[in-house]
Amino acid sequence: MRDLRRFSILFVLLLVVALGLAAQSTRSTAIPRMPAGKPNFTGVWAGPAFLHIIGPSDTDTPRVTNFDRSKMASFQPGAEEKFFQRPTGDPRHDDPTELCLPDGHPREALAPYAQQIVQTPDTVVILYEYMHFFRVIPIGKPHSADVEPTFMGDAVAKWDGDTLVIDTIGLREWTLSASNGWHSDALHTIERLKHIDATTVSYEITIDDPKIFTRPWSQTFQMKLHPTWKLFEQVCEENNRCQGGNCKQ
Amino acid sequence: MLSKFLVLAMLVHHAYTAEFDTTKPIKLSGVLTKVEWSNPHIWLYLDVKDEKGNVTNWGFSASPPGMLQRRGITKASLKLGDVLTISGHRAKDGSNNASGNVVTFADGHDALIGQDQALNPTLK
Repeated sequence: MRDLRRFSILFVLLLVVALGLAAQSTRSTAIPRMPAGKPNFTGVWAGPAFLHIIGPSDTDTPRVTNFDRSKMASFQPGAEEKFFQRPTGDPRHDDPTELCLPDGHPREALAPYAQQIVQTPDTVVILYEYMHFFRVIPIGKPHSADVEPTFMGDAVAKWDGDTLVIDTIGLREWTLSASNGWHSDALHTIERLKHIDATTVSYEITIDDPKIFTRPWSQTFQMKLHPTWKLFEQVCEENNRCQGGNCKQ
Repeated sequence: MLSKFLVLAMLVHHAYTAEFDTTKPIKLSGVLTKVEWSNPHIWLYLDVKDEKGNVTNWGFSASPPGMLQRRGITKASLKLGDVLTISGHRAKDGSNNASGNVVTFADGHDALIGQDQALNPTLK
């Protein structure tokens, strides 16, 4: 009788532990979802250009981020010189952002500033802290029929299971990243956002620029959700000293 | 002691090397005379005294206000009259301006306030 009691107590304890572990496992894999069931990316994120090493004061270390040269496809004949343009001494060419000109897509996504995503069933809005740029991206709609090249391009999204796929065309010739590779006006990007867990998203971007590269190539980064963050004002023109290396002005 | 994650940070809105000479590191101590708490980079000004007693005002360009706020560095934490030590790189134009990368406060603690080009990944 005593053995049966001991066995019952042990059984109950094991059951409690097992249920606890199961609940913990469910919590760690659950991701935020919209009422209709699609993943919900709403929130303020430390984007691809953060080291994601969380320090004091809930920081997530920003770092100017470029595409990895080893990920890039080979160049089209003569295109390497177009991509790696030599500095001219003119900031408008050497780094337009030095004059507070836009960095454009996809460089904006790799800027070491926070970005906020606001999602509705049919639209994803990405608000970039850096220079206050934004993208309003319809879900499930085609590209506009007549796209004039712009800094941020024409973006549309669709779902591939739980992955949000953003397709962007209509980009003017501009810098691809902070290290100043120049993409062409034929650039087409595909971004794939997928939750790894509730606060971590895999961000894969494919660079398809047939005037520069022989084939599309991709690089994957991570984004980290920061519920305590908000976007700060970032007005580049406010006190932009040292333009072109001239700090005496 | 500056923690590892802070050392790895680099905060710029444009090409750091266009404005600052990474071959000319500089580390100066002086009295904080002015703070420009504005974008795209804050500026700190120190009165720096040389061995002969001559005082020169130096300007240091650091991170934007929002980035510093996220790390707990506010305008109020930078008090005029405090003695600070700031390290960075000299401006390319040879003026008394520099990047402000790491600041050492009077109590001895360090904080990353700006830019560290040494770890900037370059394409080519």
